[in-house]
Amino acid sequence: MAPQKTATKPQTSAPASPVESLWKAYSDNTSKRLKFIDSFLVFLMLSGIVQFLYCILVTNFPFNAFLAGFSSCVGQFVLTASLRSQVNPENKETFKEVSPERAFADFVVGSIVLHFFVFNFLG
Amino acid sequence: MLSLYLILAAFVGLLQAKSSTGDSILVILDNKLNRSDYSLFFDGLEGQGYSLTFRAPGDTTPAIKEHDTPNFDHVIVFAPHTKSFSPDVTPQSLVSSLGKGTNLLLALSQKQNLVNSLASEFSLILPPPQTPLVSHFPAREEPATVIPITPQPNVIVDPDLPPIWFSGIPVAPGNNPLLFPILRAPAESFASDATVDSGADSVLEAADRGGEGLWAGSSSSLITGFQTRNGARATWVGGVELFSDDFAKKHTLGGKKSGNAQLSKDVAAWTFQENLVLRIDSVSHHKLGGSETPEVYTTNDQIVYIAHISKYDPATSSWVPYSGISDLQLEFTMLDPHVRTSLSPVPDTPGEYSVTFRAPDRHGVFKFVIDYRRKGWSTLQSSTTVPVVPPRHDGYPRFLSAAWPYYTGAISTSIGFLLFSLLWLAGGEDKAKTKKE
Amino acid sequence: MKSPMLVVLLAFVASTYAAALALQSPKFTVSSPNGDQIRSEPISLTKKSSPVRLGPQDVLRVTFQVTENDGGTGVQPHQAFLRFYDNISGEDGLQPVRVTSNGKARFELNMARPPSSFPPTSPDSVLKVSLIIGSFVHKPLAVDLFDLIVPASQPVASHPEEVYYHPQPVIEHTFRPEQKTPPAFISAVFSALVLAPWVVLVGLWSQLSPKVPNLFSLKIIPFTATLGAFELLLVWYWVDLRLGQVLLYGAGLGIVAVFTGKTALVQVGKLRKGSI
Repeated sequence: MAPQKTATKPQTSAPASPVESLWKAYSDNTSKRLKFIDSFLVFLMLSGIVQFLYCILVTNFPFNAFLAGFSSCVGQFVLTASLRSQVNPENKETFKEVSPERAFADFVVGSIVLHFFVFNFLG
Repeated sequence: MLSLYLILAAFVGLLQAKSSTGDSILVILDNKLNRSDYSLFFDGLEGQGYSLTFRAPGDTTPAIKEHDTPNFDHVIVFAPHTKSFSPDVTPQSLVSSLGKGTNLLLALSQKQNLVNSLASEFSLILPPPQTPLVSHFPAREEPATVIPITPQPNVIVDPDLPPIWFSGIPVAPGNNPLLFPILRAPAESFASDATVDSGADSVLEAADRGGEGLWAGSSSSLITGFQTRNGARATWVGGVELFSDDFAKKHTLGGKKSGNAQLSKDVAAWTFQENLVLRIDSVSHHKLGGSETPEVYTTNDQIVYIAHISKYDPATSSWVPYSGISDLQLEFTMLDPHVRTSLSPVPDTPGEYSVTFRAPDRHGVFKFVIDYRRKGWSTLQSSTTVPVVPPRHDGYPRFLSAAWPYYTGAISTSIGFLLFSLLWLAGGEDKAKTKKE
Repeated sequence: MKSPMLVVLLAFVASTYAAALALQSPKFTVSSPNGDQIRSEPISLTKKSSPVRLGPQDVLRVTFQVTENDGGTGVQPHQAFLRFYDNISGEDGLQPVRVTSNGKARFELNMARPPSSFPPTSPDSVLKVSLIIGSFVHKPLAVDLFDLIVPASQPVASHPEEVYYHPQPVIEHTFRPEQKTPPAFISAVFSALVLAPWVVLVGLWSQLSPKVPNLFSLKIIPFTATLGAFELLLVWYWVDLRLGQVLLYGAGLGIVAVFTGKTALVQVGKLRKGSI
């Protein structure tokens, strides 16, 4: 293959749809580790959506159990998202004092405490 | 004296019936009346075990009470002809001793005197002076003011009581629920001061006067009981002759002996707290399935309430457990009754009444209230306070099938977190960020 | 109710009175308010007439004469009462009747303004009307006249505390209705749906296939094991433990976690730096 870096513009000036190009940019530019985190985030989001749908469609009794299960997903999502932003090399400037290990330790502590409250409220 | 006791034995039997509140009776006897004319009644009381002290209305000793303490447990006032009493016998002193638990047996008079004026304080409306009860029925030799009456049975009057003789005044009992007519006037009787037929016009005038008008018919009462809220009893008798030996020995028109002696004894027995006297011995409550009394109850708990009730038995002078109350009710009240159920007797345990009910699902401070009032019976009142709290945070139902998705969600998140941490810590590092080629 | 017994008694008692009383030509009339006669008939002492009905404004008139013996001279007795007895409530009302000196009597009852002695009536009451005649010098006479049906009266005002002297109505507390639980099957289905994102997760992760060279590194495993122990402790707390206990065990595990975590993360840091 020619090692020329030619800006190859596609013939037909029909750019891929914004979603497709976003997706392409994402999957090209994100490291495996971050994608690893993102999969977990998707998982948590789906799990939360299903519980929310159950609460609306079927019954919201017992409400405390709904809150516990739903906030388990939401809280874990928040903690994982903050882990992702702290571990992302692109944010190294913002988190100069925080090593990835420190971020992970915070993530673990936060998660354990979250799970404690969740199981306390789960009933 | 010995023969008198033999006669007594025939009448009274060999029962020693005693009061539940005490045995000393003060008898204020009119100067114009002789004790011997009422010997059957008074000796009957003494034979039952009471100690009687006689005095005239004008005497100052023995006093009814001294320094607010009653000297006697019961007081009988048979003073229909007395106009003035000694200073210690006033309406106020009688009422205050009634308030302190002294029982009163009072005979009304045809003249306006102290006892009559006291009667109006008790919602009893008396006819004008010198208008005794008269009845022309049934036709008889005795004057119209001496009337044979067949009493209607009630809690005091026995159904088998023979007809009795009465002479005195009727009263119109007021609306007060504390009053309890024991003997009602016959339907054909009325109050009148006439002695000849030409008195008919005055009868019509009395009726036209309005107000009470005419003390006629069975709405008038001849013996009326009154029970105060703290249990003391007072009985108003329309005429003192009811208790006399003459009437007791007199034969009724059917040829049988009159029931006066028995009725006098029954009226005295009720007034002096021998009959129809109840009390609550104890109350307790606990959760269904437990036996100890908890400090608090939780809403929707099943609560068991138990009361022990005794009735005074005059024959043995003791309190005997009594299961005969069929309409006892329990209220579970916080400002208003939230629950009112019937407290029924337990079949095999005499005197025990029990009910099981579910605590309301409102929390607050509740009271178990028993408030049993029936005419003629002593009142039963009890109030026990108990808090009812909402369930603790782990008192609610748990592990419900409706919450399975939430349980799986929480556990699934935990497992996901564990797996994530495991893989993260084990992770190799991808190369330093490279732009995609 | 009492008059048959009285008749029997009168027969027993030796007559000391001069004469018996008798009732002559008793009759009653019912008129409407404007004066029309609705009903007028003599009262038979042997056969009871049909019940007399009065409307709210009708007028009942009763006339009779009291004589000595049957057909003798008229007399004015001491007592001439009309008795209205309600057998449902047991109350009776006695109304005196004016009798002239020759024994003639006339009584008028206007339902628009009944006398105060008139007993209160309920809608099913049937008043038994009887005449009671008593005298000091004659044998008394009691006669049942007829049954009377009148409009119901206002209920009698009773004392406010009277209600406590009878059994009161039972009160049952209405509880909040039980929460309806959905069928267990639905809950099970949704539980399975909650587990469905695992499929997505496993799929995504396997697609990524991250390298895990240090999965079983001895410095890291204790830490992951501690984390696993924490989660198990929390599940145990959910099913069984009390708060005090879980905090105690959690504190113990936390101390362990500090050490294992320090070891593991230092190791990870070294590996990360070393791999650059």
